[in-house]
Amino acid sequence: MKRIRVIVADDHTLVRAGIRALLEKADEIEVAGEAGDGYEALALIRQQTPDLVLLDMVMPGVGGLEVLERIKQDFPLIRVIILGVHETQEYAIRAFQRGAAGYIPKKAASGELVEAIKKVMRGEEYVSTEISGKTGLNYGSGAAQDVNSSKELTPRQRDVLKMIADGLSTKQIAKVMNISAKTVETHRALLMDRLDIHDVAGLVRYAIKIGLIEIEVGRQSQTAKKRPER
Amino acid sequence: MAGFFSHEGSGSAVGLEWTRPKPLRVLIADDQLLVRAGICELVKTLPDVAIVGQASDGHEALRLIETHQPDIVLMDTTMPIMNGLEATVLVKKRFPRVKVIILSEYSSEEFVFRALRSGAEGFVLKDDSVDDLYAAIESVAQGREHLSPRVTKKVIVGYLEGQDAGDELIELLTPRQREVLQLIAEGNSTKEIAVMLHISVNTVKTHRLKLMEKLGVHEITGIVRYAVSMGLIKNS
Repeated sequence: MKRIRVIVADDHTLVRAGIRALLEKADEIEVAGEAGDGYEALALIRQQTPDLVLLDMVMPGVGGLEVLERIKQDFPLIRVIILGVHETQEYAIRAFQRGAAGYIPKKAASGELVEAIKKVMRGEEYVSTEISGKTGLNYGSGAAQDVNSSKELTPRQRDVLKMIADGLSTKQIAKVMNISAKTVETHRALLMDRLDIHDVAGLVRYAIKIGLIEIEVGRQSQTAKKRPER
Repeated sequence: MAGFFSHEGSGSAVGLEWTRPKPLRVLIADDQLLVRAGICELVKTLPDVAIVGQASDGHEALRLIETHQPDIVLMDTTMPIMNGLEATVLVKKRFPRVKVIILSEYSSEEFVFRALRSGAEGFVLKDDSVDDLYAAIESVAQGREHLSPRVTKKVIVGYLEGQDAGDELIELLTPRQREVLQLIAEGNSTKEIAVMLHISVNTVKTHRLKLMEKLGVHEITGIVRYAVSMGLIKNS
């Protein structure tokens, strides 16, 4: 039996080595190489032409989704499974839209990994039970398209979201945008609805996640810079 | 396993001849099951090591430590409910015999210092090599400390520049306030937090008020931004 040749791309060496160790336990899989960033992954793919690539979604330099697009362009036959940090459907959908055959959050049980690889090699799509179980969604490309478009915020909503995350009050946002507080509230309700996020903390986390506001880990946050009196 | 003794500094006769009187008991805490399973696989290949438990958050880790009495805990940093640094502080308090190796994705000076102040014996980056991980386990098992070679310089420079433990706002918070901080940032309501911590809603409110005062933030959004900036909750 011909073994499935897999390349593992993840920027954390220990994580990568661990995943490799997990894959090597499966007889039908052969790890053809490891890459620590997007460029390395692309070079390795060119050199090895694997059957499948396990691709970390978040890598420095060229991110996973960009690598995915380039793979699909240059090597449409190579299958790609995205390893994501998020269990929400929108990230899975983004991956599928760019041609991924599978999406597994790193939270998923390790047993899913080999199962996913086999399924994808049979020509099927794989969505982790962590996600599909939650939503019951059909991830066929058509359905994915619809859900994603409803996730997109209008430019106005994005502005409001950013200001909320920055800590501005409804009144302040109204002033900045030169609209009424009522209208701000409407924007806010609509965007929360679209994102399916129902608390302010969730909005801030989402804004950070999509890069609307930037926060560097290890630096004191903007608002908490001043030392209080003891 | 050639790697186990092949890292720098342990090629000594002591390292090579060192045998454990009984298997080393290791517990792994990481909320990303896939990552945890991989690390498990790596650790399992070491001779005389037994994985005695796996946890997905700080609370679970503490529970499992009590049940399984491991020698070493490999502790992820960013975990839901209770993060790895908070858990480490409590491990050192409740089970001083248990050694902790922090497995971190963050290498900023501030973060490393906080990790070291939590009382951990080891600090390994997720970007370190497998040999580094093995070296850390070996050192800590033998009663020594291990610091990732990638952050040693930062730590020394920070020390020379007089990094002060009390310099960071988060150090002003009590462990309980830090716990509440993380739970708020994760989106839990006051009521939910009260239930989780077995305290009254009013007590939660007091903690919240106090911690906001200490951090100088005035809204929930500020709490979330602060928690992300401190690596208490994931931002990517």
